[in-house]
Amino acid sequence: MISRRSFLSQSAATAAAAAAAGLTLAPSCARNRGRRLEIAVVWSDGELDRFREVLRAYPEPVDVTSAGDDIGAFLNARHRAGNSPDLAVLPFPGLMRQLVADSRLTSIPETDVLRDRYPRAWLDLLKIDGVLYGVWVKAAHKSLFWRLPTSPIAEADTWEGLVSQVDQAAGDPDLPAPLAIGAADGWVLTDWLENLLAARLTCDTYHRLSRGHDRWHDGQVVKAFGDLFDMWHGPGRFPGGASRALLTQHEEAVLQVFGTKTALTVFEGDFVTSVIGRFAEPGDPQPEFFPFPAPAAVEGEQPLVVGGDAAVLLNDSQGAADLLAWLTEPDSFAPWMAAGGFLIPNQKAHDAHRYHDPLQRRLAQQLLDATEPRFDLSDLLSGTLGGADGQGSWRFLQDFFLAATQPGAQRQRVVAEVTARFSAAARHYEGSKSLDRHACS
Amino acid sequence: MLGVTRLILPDSRHMPGRAHPGALTTLVLALPAAAILGAIVIWPVARVLVTSVFDHGTYVGLRHFHAALEQPGAWAAIGRTLLWGALVPAIVTTAGFGLAWQTRRGPTGRIATLVLVAPIALPLVVTGIVFRLVYDPDPTRGPATGLTGVSFLSPRLVTIALMSAFVWAWVGLALLVFRTALDRVQPELADVVRKLGGSGRDVFRDALWHPVMRRTFAMVFAVVALATMRSFDLILVMAPGSVLDEASVLGVLQWQTSAGSLNGPAAALGVIWLAIVGAAIAGAAWWTRQRWPPPLTLAEATPTPRDHEPAGPLALRTMRRTILLSASALWLIPMVVLVGTSLQSPRSAALFGWWHRPTTLDSYRRALDSGELTRSLVLTGVLAVVVACVVTGLALLAAYATAWMDSPAAHVGGFALLGAAVVPVLVIAGPVDEVLRALHLANTSAGLALVHIALGLPFGILLLRNAFADVDFQEIVEARLVSDRPWQVVQRLAPNVVTTAVAVLVLEFIQVWDDFVVGLLFGGPDAMPLGALLHGGTRQFVANSGPLAASAVVASLVPLLAVLAARRHIVNGLVSGALR
Repeated sequence: MISRRSFLSQSAATAAAAAAAGLTLAPSCARNRGRRLEIAVVWSDGELDRFREVLRAYPEPVDVTSAGDDIGAFLNARHRAGNSPDLAVLPFPGLMRQLVADSRLTSIPETDVLRDRYPRAWLDLLKIDGVLYGVWVKAAHKSLFWRLPTSPIAEADTWEGLVSQVDQAAGDPDLPAPLAIGAADGWVLTDWLENLLAARLTCDTYHRLSRGHDRWHDGQVVKAFGDLFDMWHGPGRFPGGASRALLTQHEEAVLQVFGTKTALTVFEGDFVTSVIGRFAEPGDPQPEFFPFPAPAAVEGEQPLVVGGDAAVLLNDSQGAADLLAWLTEPDSFAPWMAAGGFLIPNQKAHDAHRYHDPLQRRLAQQLLDATEPRFDLSDLLSGTLGGADGQGSWRFLQDFFLAATQPGAQRQRVVAEVTARFSAAARHYEGSKSLDRHACS
Repeated sequence: MLGVTRLILPDSRHMPGRAHPGALTTLVLALPAAAILGAIVIWPVARVLVTSVFDHGTYVGLRHFHAALEQPGAWAAIGRTLLWGALVPAIVTTAGFGLAWQTRRGPTGRIATLVLVAPIALPLVVTGIVFRLVYDPDPTRGPATGLTGVSFLSPRLVTIALMSAFVWAWVGLALLVFRTALDRVQPELADVVRKLGGSGRDVFRDALWHPVMRRTFAMVFAVVALATMRSFDLILVMAPGSVLDEASVLGVLQWQTSAGSLNGPAAALGVIWLAIVGAAIAGAAWWTRQRWPPPLTLAEATPTPRDHEPAGPLALRTMRRTILLSASALWLIPMVVLVGTSLQSPRSAALFGWWHRPTTLDSYRRALDSGELTRSLVLTGVLAVVVACVVTGLALLAAYATAWMDSPAAHVGGFALLGAAVVPVLVIAGPVDEVLRALHLANTSAGLALVHIALGLPFGILLLRNAFADVDFQEIVEARLVSDRPWQVVQRLAPNVVTTAVAVLVLEFIQVWDDFVVGLLFGGPDAMPLGALLHGGTRQFVANSGPLAASAVVASLVPLLAVLAARRHIVNGLVSGALR
């Protein structure tokens, strides 16, 4: 049997031999083995249109295939059928790890050009055992609270400071509820937890948690759940109460702050702006944000939890590599940066002043400045710890939310219950628990 | 042997008055259907059975079953599945019969019937969207919440909310079937009972229940009980993520355990589900047992016009009218909420709800803007037409070939077809996907069509087989004498079964148009049928409610028209076909 890679290099060699024999081949044919480049993406609708617009500037035509949410299944199906796309834009690195384990990704040389363009901390997120397998094409900033300029809840230096602001607002009958929270979507709750874990844990512990190790009884982890309890427990915190919050989805929560104005703040990533934008009317005030505060006991800066999409190479042809290199160029994503709702941790793109919206630019600056961005933990986990509606970490946190918001709930007991559940799930974790070398250098 | 006209005279031992096609002809005619059923239903079921007790080739006994049932919420999901299968059909049959009794006559009856029957046509995903709007936990948006102040989507009430949506969708079918059955009751029978001094109860028992209604009740109950397997569609659309566990049934559990691929615990769960469905089918078959071929008495009885029957005292008529009007009003509310929401701008649908003014077509514009909905409509339409035609064609051939089998073979064949008709597709999703991959049809529209054809064939064959069995013997003999090829015989006999064939065609069209699960499991970015597309739109429900409601209205128009136009065919086909 002949491996896919050796087959590809053979066909490249054949093309080279043919060219050497004096046959004239169009350059694009030689590079792409006679067919157009194909890139599979997770985006659909508006995002897909934007990305197509981006690729229109590429000198050669490129087919963009929207693989929908389950790009993993899509790539597996194409792999079995023997027609994998040349590149793919993956939504989270868990899948990247799996593809690397199956030897289906081509590594990317970490050149000085790349180091100039992406901050080191960001490149590190896309490395497995010290080898780079992807480049960032889009990033999400998941450590933000959003408010209207008139909201009495404002930036706090510490988590405890924010909790006391929330306490005060909750006790004021003339004010709307302090917090909107889309607790019906489990990922919103995991994002809360991840920010506290990112603030409290060392890189090593965070990495171990993300690889399914049972570190859920560690002191700082337990304290992170306690932080959440402090924020969520107490009367009047959520519009309609906690049981209503559990039936509220993320985008509806955003509308509670910026549409019906029944809440003062909402926590979530930069993508909140796209929801606000969809429902904004002329004359509406500009939304404001403040960073997720770190607990006072932790000496260090505010946490930065990030998500994002990275382009990977499924094919080691020159054409594919050229397209990947082009995607890292400062001007490539200019149309999307100008259109808004888009962030990229590319320093040179930032320097080129392609963001039209000052708010986007500030968010992008925060991404670039972060010394220790942490990748969304729940996106790294799978199996018993992974999330989906009614399952794994999403379910654990929804149950924790319900328990913590009950009147008279006991902090210690509720926290002990949830850490025990995570711990039990980690013990039954079936995925590989092997740690990356150089993960926390 | 093929191509030679062969007439086999009636075999007096088994079935007087029937002509048998030769064994080889039977085989050839039934082959396409058998091949598709074998690949997409029977082999996958066998693979599930084997996988449930083996692990990498080693026999592991009940280990997978333990693992499957140890999952949190597994027993609760099984219990809820049984509750769905018992409670919902009981309500639907009772309400359907009661309303059929009330709507027998009069102009109010006809309008009420229309209102009550319309929900049958809607895809269950649309029903889910409708009732999530009705039960929106925000009192200003959700009318049910606003009127009572109770949150129906909360963990405690979510199953009741889901069941109410299902009842709303299915009462119409029960009503139609009961009305047809009532029309076939011979009024003379009641007169005889009365003359013999029977009370009202005796009339009900001897003139109504025993001759007609017992079987009809059993049939409607069984059909609705089996249909509750599709509560999966409703749950995925209506239940917010935080209450999914409290709403979960076997279908949801199966989906979560397997995620579309085959593994031990998922296979074990599938076997448990198959066992439950098998037991239900056996129970229903025993309840409605009859000799084969079915007796020709009731179906052939000319429906007697019953206008001459006295309309009853005025008070009774007023009460009937009130019941009907309130039922229609109640059934109309969800429709009004859906259409009202679709006529809001996306912003006011999300912020204020369906009653807000002014109305606009902005949500329709937003829904149609990306072109995705249009593409999906075209794909679904083509898929539904192709599948309906292929299923009807193949089922005609297979039905003709098997219609005059003698008793034991017919019973076994009928039972196997019934079994194949009710295998939950979620159980066999993994192996079916393997088959599609082997054929290079995974995540393509051709693959979707193949799965739909396989799932539709058993029911189509059952219906048409019964219709063929009713064809007059002389006609068969003539058709066989003048035809050279077996399929030409089918062609000549086809006019006799045209009503049933139309019923199969329409039912299959609606089945495919309204599908969600098959699209979810086997569709892909290039093959996104309506059900899967609408489901995608429900992920951020409230914020997307305007365009989603607009898409739901657009998606419902075609099946609504199909059902309203062909409802006589559908019911006649059902009543005189397999379900008689």
